[in-house]
This record gives sequence, C-alpha cells and structure tokens, in this order.
Amino acid sequence: MKMSLKSMPDLCESQEDYCKKFVDRIIKSNREVFIMYSLLEKQMCGYDLIKQIFSRYDVFLSQGTVYPILYTLEEEGFLHAEYSKGDMRSKKYSLTSKGREVAEKDVEDFSKALEQVSFLLKR
Amino acid sequence: MRSMLKDTINGLDKILFVEIPKGSVILVTGAEGTLKSGLVFSMMTNHIAANDEHALYVTLEQNGESHLRNMNSLGIKKESDLHIFDYRDMRLEWMNSELDLIKMTEEVIESYKDKYDNLTLFALDSLNALYSISEHENMRSKIYNFFTRLREEGITSFLIMESAPSRVGGQFSQFHQTEHFLADGTIELGMIEGMGGVKRYIQILKMRATKHAMEKHQLTIDENGISIRGPIY
Repeated sequence: MKMSLKSMPDLCESQEDYCKKFVDRIIKSNREVFIMYSLLEKQMCGYDLIKQIFSRYDVFLSQGTVYPILYTLEEEGFLHAEYSKGDMRSKKYSLTSKGREVAEKDVEDFSKALEQVSFLLKR
Repeated sequence: MRSMLKDTINGLDKILFVEIPKGSVILVTGAEGTLKSGLVFSMMTNHIAANDEHALYVTLEQNGESHLRNMNSLGIKKESDLHIFDYRDMRLEWMNSELDLIKMTEEVIESYKDKYDNLTLFALDSLNALYSISEHENMRSKIYNFFTRLREEGITSFLIMESAPSRVGGQFSQFHQTEHFLADGTIELGMIEGMGGVKRYIQILKMRATKHAMEKHQLTIDENGISIRGPIY
C-alpha cells in the first residue's frame, strides 16, 4: 500500500488542542520527511513549502528550520535547485532520482512507525 | 588530540600560545579589506580539513556563491564539511514579512546541529549586516541573549564586525563596546601605513583563559594562503 502523510491530522479524532500539540511536535521533529514528502508531488521554493505544510497540517515550520534543510539536502545531492525562469527571487527545489528514492523510503518508514506507535498505544 | 585552531593559519602560534577554549565567542573586527572574512573562513576550512567535524559559515553580506568566489580569489578552498548558509533566498521570498534574523540565526544553528552532531565551529558574517536588517528595539538585550545562547551551544563562534578604520584613542565606539565586553575574545585586523608601504596586521586584544601575544603582527596573503609574520612596530 502506498503510504501517505496527507491525512496526518486525521490520526486525531478531533482537532482539539492536546492532539494538535502532538501533531505539531511530530511534524517539527521530523520536518525533513515532511519537506521531502511535499517535494515528491512537485517542485517548490522554501516559501511554498512552508505555506503548503501550514495549510495541510496547520503547523508552521519557521524559515530558520526549513531553509537549512533545503540547503543541506541539496549539498548531499538529494535536491536540485534552480531559479524560476524570469524570476530570480524564487529558487525552486526538486528531488533528484537519488532524493526521490530516499524520500519514498523515508515516507514509507515514517508512516509505518506512526502506525506501529498507534497500534502499541491502543493495545 | 588534534589541535583546535592554533595550527590552522601559518604563524598563528606566534600570537596564540594555547588553544582557545571550546565554546568561546570571538569577535573579529576591522575596517573593510582587512581580511576578516578570509581569516575566519581560512581558519574554519583548515580546521575541518584536519578534523572529522563540521562547521557553519552564515553570511548575510553576500550570497554563498559570491562569498566562495571571493575566497577562491584569495586561494582559500572550501572543505565539504564546511557549510555555507546565506539568507538571500529567504529574504527574497519573504520580502513582505518581518524576519527576526537573530532568532532565525539561532534556529539555523540548531538545524545544522540536529543534522551534524559534530558541528564545532560557527561564523557570522557580519554582525553589522545583522543589525542593519534587524529591529533595533531591545538590541542590547537580544545581543546579550544571542551571545549567551552561542556559548551554551558549546560551539566556538566567530562574529565578524566591521569597525571604523581605527579606534579613536584606542577605544571602541559605545555600541561596539557592548560586543567587546560580552565576547570571550576580540581579534582586530587593520592596516598600518609606514615607510615600507601599507601593511596588514592582526592583534589579539582579548582572549579569555588563553595566553596570547599583545603586539600587532603582520598579516600577509599569497598563493599559500594567509600567514602571520613577526611583530610590527
């Protein structure tokens, strides 16, 4: 089954504060997985990524935590960066083939880990 | 155990007799063109080349590519474990938002530390640029907290600060006195005009818990990189 992180808040029965607090922590401490997951869908700049993660999960990843991840993933050869045509203000990031492989595996492993934790808590 | 920083520049041991304690916050001051960025970048890259560690160089004055071009023109090569972070993309993409760059810088350090356990060196180029694009409200308190946070991180930090060509009467301006007071060390770079022409110098004004020379020493740069020569009088 193909894993997805799109419905992360659905893991909570409601959007009550106590649940949001945990979702917030999980996403912030695993932000690299969520950034790569977002880039599996399309190329984006740091601004678009922050906006998309906020609109999808209601979690704000600050600029100081997102851009370093983009820079280091690019250094490691997992991301390719290029400026948009005619717009030098926005650097778009896309996954390289090596990055796509790692992103798919990380997303799958992360989803399994979440399911495992959920299973263990309900046992 | 490998040397920390003393052996990273040819002749640095002439002015620094023992290692700088880990976690020190060091100001590197001087006028434009006195090799502040080159000295710090050179120390970091040489240290990283000899040790299995990571370093982070944050530049606010120019983008990473332009900084690297400048370093290449000085014959200074970047090691792969020396990471450069610039704010260009962030500032352009968020140009309509107010960014707290001191907080951002703390987050950037934290992010690199999360990624690389053995991040031991950090440099900010420059404090002046940080001030010029930051809200000035409560700046002294923000700077105090920033210095404290850097110290607590346990990484040795170099904060580059451009100063007027010469300190008037040997004193720092009132604003720069704050940083000088808060820092564990101050390295001053400058130029002296004499009979033999203009010479660059380096002088350690202060280095807590570290035995060092007080004299100004000549600083040179050639195809072998930066070197520290004998005292200048």
